Amino acid sequence: MHRLEEMWIAISTGILIIFMVVVGYQTFALGMGPPSNKETIDPQKVDQTEPFDEPGISKIGDNEYEVVMTLQAFGFTPNNIEVPAGAKVNFIMTSKDVTHGFQIAGTNINAMVMPGHIQKISHTFDKPGEYLVLCNEYCGTGHQLMSTTITVK
Amino acid sequence: MAAANKNSPKKHTDNENESSLRGTIVSVGFVGAVIVIMWAAIFGLYMSRI
Repeated sequence: MHRLEEMWIAISTGILIIFMVVVGYQTFALGMGPPSNKETIDPQKVDQTEPFDEPGISKIGDNEYEVVMTLQAFGFTPNNIEVPAGAKVNFIMTSKDVTHGFQIAGTNINAMVMPGHIQKISHTFDKPGEYLVLCNEYCGTGHQLMSTTITVK
Repeated sequence: MAAANKNSPKKHTDNENESSLRGTIVSVGFVGAVIVIMWAAIFGLYMSRI
Protein backbone atom coordinates (compact mmCIF):
# COMPACT_ATOMS: atom_id res chain seq x y z
CA MET A 1 0.00 0.00 0.00
CA HIS A 2 1.09 3.53 -0.68
CA ARG A 3 2.57 5.34 2.31
CA LEU A 4 0.05 8.17 1.98
CA GLU A 5 -2.84 5.68 1.84
CA GLU A 6 -1.68 4.19 5.13
CA MET A 7 -1.49 7.67 6.56
CA TRP A 8 -5.02 8.74 5.74
CA ILE A 9 -6.50 5.40 6.78
CA ALA A 10 -4.77 5.74 10.16
CA ILE A 11 -5.79 9.38 10.63
CA SER A 12 -9.42 8.88 9.64
CA THR A 13 -9.74 5.78 11.83
CA GLY A 14 -8.22 7.70 14.71
CA ILE A 15 -10.64 10.61 14.23
CA LEU A 16 -13.63 8.24 14.20
CA ILE A 17 -12.43 6.56 17.40
CA ILE A 18 -11.94 9.94 19.11
CA PHE A 19 -15.48 11.05 18.06
CA MET A 20 -17.02 7.83 19.38
CA VAL A 21 -15.11 7.93 22.67
CA VAL A 22 -16.10 11.58 23.31
CA VAL A 23 -19.78 11.04 22.42
CA GLY A 24 -19.88 7.71 24.28
CA TYR A 25 -18.41 9.29 27.41
CA GLN A 26 -20.93 12.15 27.25
CA THR A 27 -23.85 9.78 26.80
CA PHE A 28 -23.04 6.97 29.24
CA ALA A 29 -20.90 8.70 31.87
CA LEU A 30 -22.33 12.23 31.88
CA GLY A 31 -25.94 11.37 30.99
CA MET A 32 -26.04 13.72 28.03
CA GLY A 33 -27.84 11.33 25.70
CA PRO A 34 -31.03 12.32 23.95
CA PRO A 35 -34.17 12.09 26.11
CA SER A 36 -35.33 8.48 25.99
CA ASN A 37 -37.54 7.70 28.97
CA LYS A 38 -39.34 4.38 28.58
CA GLU A 39 -42.60 4.73 30.55
CA THR A 40 -45.93 4.33 28.80
CA ILE A 41 -49.42 5.65 29.52
CA ASP A 42 -52.92 5.19 28.09
CA PRO A 43 -53.17 8.29 25.89
CA GLN A 44 -56.97 8.42 26.23
CA LYS A 45 -56.82 8.53 30.03
CA VAL A 46 -54.10 11.15 30.50
CA ASP A 47 -56.42 13.41 32.54
CA GLN A 48 -57.20 10.58 34.98
CA THR A 49 -53.65 9.25 35.28
CA GLU A 50 -51.17 10.46 37.87
CA PRO A 51 -49.29 12.75 37.73
CA PHE A 52 -50.94 14.21 34.65
CA ASP A 53 -54.29 14.68 36.41
CA GLU A 54 -52.68 17.75 37.98
CA PRO A 55 -50.28 19.31 35.50
CA GLY A 56 -48.23 22.14 36.94
CA ILE A 57 -44.98 23.14 38.54
CA SER A 58 -43.87 22.09 42.02
CA LYS A 59 -40.74 22.64 44.06
CA ILE A 60 -39.07 19.35 44.90
CA GLY A 61 -35.76 20.47 46.33
CA ASP A 62 -33.27 23.23 46.88
CA ASN A 63 -33.81 25.28 43.73
CA GLU A 64 -35.09 22.19 41.95
CA TYR A 65 -38.48 22.06 40.29
CA GLU A 66 -40.66 19.46 38.67
CA VAL A 67 -42.93 20.40 35.79
CA VAL A 68 -45.67 17.93 34.95
CA MET A 69 -46.85 18.91 31.51
CA THR A 70 -49.35 17.72 28.95
CA LEU A 71 -49.07 18.69 25.33
CA GLN A 72 -52.13 18.89 23.12
CA ALA A 73 -53.14 20.61 19.93
CA PHE A 74 -52.05 23.41 20.06
CA GLY A 75 -50.64 24.25 23.47
CA PHE A 76 -48.66 23.33 26.53
CA THR A 77 -50.25 22.85 29.99
CA PRO A 78 -49.04 24.59 32.15
CA ASN A 79 -47.98 27.49 29.97
CA ASN A 80 -46.86 30.09 32.52
CA ILE A 81 -43.75 28.57 34.00
CA GLU A 82 -41.58 30.81 36.13
CA VAL A 83 -38.43 29.70 37.93
CA PRO A 84 -35.55 31.50 39.64
CA ALA A 85 -32.15 31.66 37.95
CA GLY A 86 -30.00 28.63 38.60
CA ALA A 87 -33.01 26.35 39.03
CA LYS A 88 -32.86 22.78 37.85
CA VAL A 89 -36.12 21.86 36.19
CA ASN A 90 -37.23 18.28 35.55
CA PHE A 91 -39.87 18.11 32.84
CA ILE A 92 -42.26 15.14 32.78
CA MET A 93 -44.40 15.26 29.67
CA THR A 94 -46.91 13.34 27.65
CA SER A 95 -49.18 14.05 24.71
CA LYS A 96 -52.96 13.84 24.71
CA ASP A 97 -53.36 13.51 20.97
CA VAL A 98 -50.63 13.43 18.35
CA THR A 99 -46.85 13.58 18.44
CA HIS A 100 -45.58 16.96 19.60
CA GLY A 101 -42.12 18.43 20.03
CA PHE A 102 -40.74 20.25 23.04
CA GLN A 103 -37.85 22.52 22.22
CA ILE A 104 -36.54 25.38 24.31
CA ALA A 105 -34.68 27.79 22.07
CA GLY A 106 -31.12 28.52 23.17
CA THR A 107 -30.82 25.36 25.26
CA ASN A 108 -30.14 21.72 24.53
CA ILE A 109 -33.73 20.76 25.38
CA ASN A 110 -35.30 19.09 22.41
CA ALA A 111 -37.65 16.20 23.09
CA MET A 112 -40.22 14.30 21.09
CA VAL A 113 -43.44 13.86 23.07
CA MET A 114 -45.54 11.01 21.78
CA PRO A 115 -49.03 9.87 22.77
CA GLY A 116 -48.79 6.77 24.95
CA HIS A 117 -45.29 7.64 26.15
CA ILE A 118 -43.97 9.62 29.08
CA GLN A 119 -40.95 11.77 28.25
CA LYS A 120 -38.50 13.18 30.76
CA ILE A 121 -35.78 15.79 30.38
CA SER A 122 -33.91 18.08 32.76
CA HIS A 123 -32.22 21.41 32.39
CA THR A 124 -30.56 23.93 34.70
CA PHE A 125 -31.51 27.49 33.79
CA ASP A 126 -28.47 29.55 34.77
CA LYS A 127 -29.20 32.67 32.70
CA PRO A 128 -32.23 34.83 33.52
CA GLY A 129 -34.53 35.68 30.66
CA GLU A 130 -37.52 34.63 28.63
CA TYR A 131 -37.06 31.28 26.96
CA LEU A 132 -39.13 30.47 23.91
CA VAL A 133 -40.72 27.01 23.92
CA LEU A 134 -41.73 25.57 20.59
CA CYS A 135 -43.43 22.50 19.22
CA ASN A 136 -41.12 21.26 16.51
CA GLU A 137 -43.09 18.25 15.29
CA TYR A 138 -45.79 19.12 12.79
CA CYS A 139 -48.99 18.42 14.77
CA GLY A 140 -51.82 19.90 12.72
CA THR A 141 -53.24 23.10 11.25
CA GLY A 142 -52.38 25.20 14.32
CA HIS A 143 -48.85 23.87 14.71
CA GLN A 144 -47.24 27.25 14.07
CA LEU A 145 -49.22 28.73 16.98
CA MET A 146 -48.03 26.13 19.46
CA SER A 147 -45.53 27.97 21.63
CA THR A 148 -45.10 29.30 25.14
CA THR A 149 -42.39 30.87 27.27
CA ILE A 150 -40.47 29.96 30.38
CA THR A 151 -39.46 32.93 32.50
CA VAL A 152 -36.23 32.68 34.46
CA LYS A 153 -35.79 35.48 37.01
CA MET B 1 1.42 -19.55 -12.22
CA ALA B 2 5.05 -19.66 -13.13
CA ALA B 3 4.51 -16.95 -15.69
CA ALA B 4 2.79 -14.71 -13.17
CA ASN B 5 5.61 -15.12 -10.69
CA LYS B 6 8.03 -14.28 -13.39
CA ASN B 7 6.20 -11.06 -14.14
CA SER B 8 5.57 -9.83 -10.62
CA PRO B 9 9.05 -8.55 -9.76
CA LYS B 10 8.88 -6.42 -12.86
CA LYS B 11 5.63 -4.75 -11.75
CA HIS B 12 7.29 -3.45 -8.62
CA THR B 13 9.72 -1.48 -10.64
CA ASP B 14 6.85 -0.02 -12.68
CA ASN B 15 6.72 3.56 -11.47
CA GLU B 16 3.41 4.43 -13.18
CA ASN B 17 1.36 2.49 -10.56
CA GLU B 18 3.24 4.14 -7.73
CA SER B 19 2.41 7.56 -9.06
CA SER B 20 2.23 10.50 -6.72
CA LEU B 21 -0.84 10.64 -4.44
CA ARG B 22 -0.13 14.17 -3.31
CA GLY B 23 -3.27 15.58 -4.90
CA THR B 24 -5.34 12.78 -3.40
CA ILE B 25 -4.10 13.29 0.14
CA VAL B 26 -4.66 17.03 -0.14
CA SER B 27 -8.27 16.37 -1.23
CA VAL B 28 -8.80 13.75 1.49
CA GLY B 29 -7.27 16.09 4.04
CA PHE B 30 -9.61 18.88 2.96
CA VAL B 31 -12.70 16.69 3.33
CA GLY B 32 -11.41 15.44 6.69
CA ALA B 33 -10.79 18.99 7.90
CA VAL B 34 -14.34 20.01 6.95
CA ILE B 35 -15.74 17.03 8.91
CA VAL B 36 -13.58 17.76 11.98
CA ILE B 37 -14.39 21.49 11.94
CA MET B 38 -18.15 20.85 11.67
CA TRP B 39 -18.03 18.21 14.43
CA ALA B 40 -16.06 20.52 16.71
CA ALA B 41 -18.42 23.44 16.01
CA ILE B 42 -21.51 21.38 16.89
CA PHE B 43 -19.74 19.98 19.96
CA GLY B 44 -18.90 23.53 21.08
CA LEU B 45 -22.48 24.69 20.47
CA TYR B 46 -23.83 21.82 22.56
CA MET B 47 -21.40 22.36 25.42
CA SER B 48 -22.08 26.13 25.48
CA ARG B 49 -25.79 25.41 26.04
CA ILE B 50 -25.40 22.93 28.90
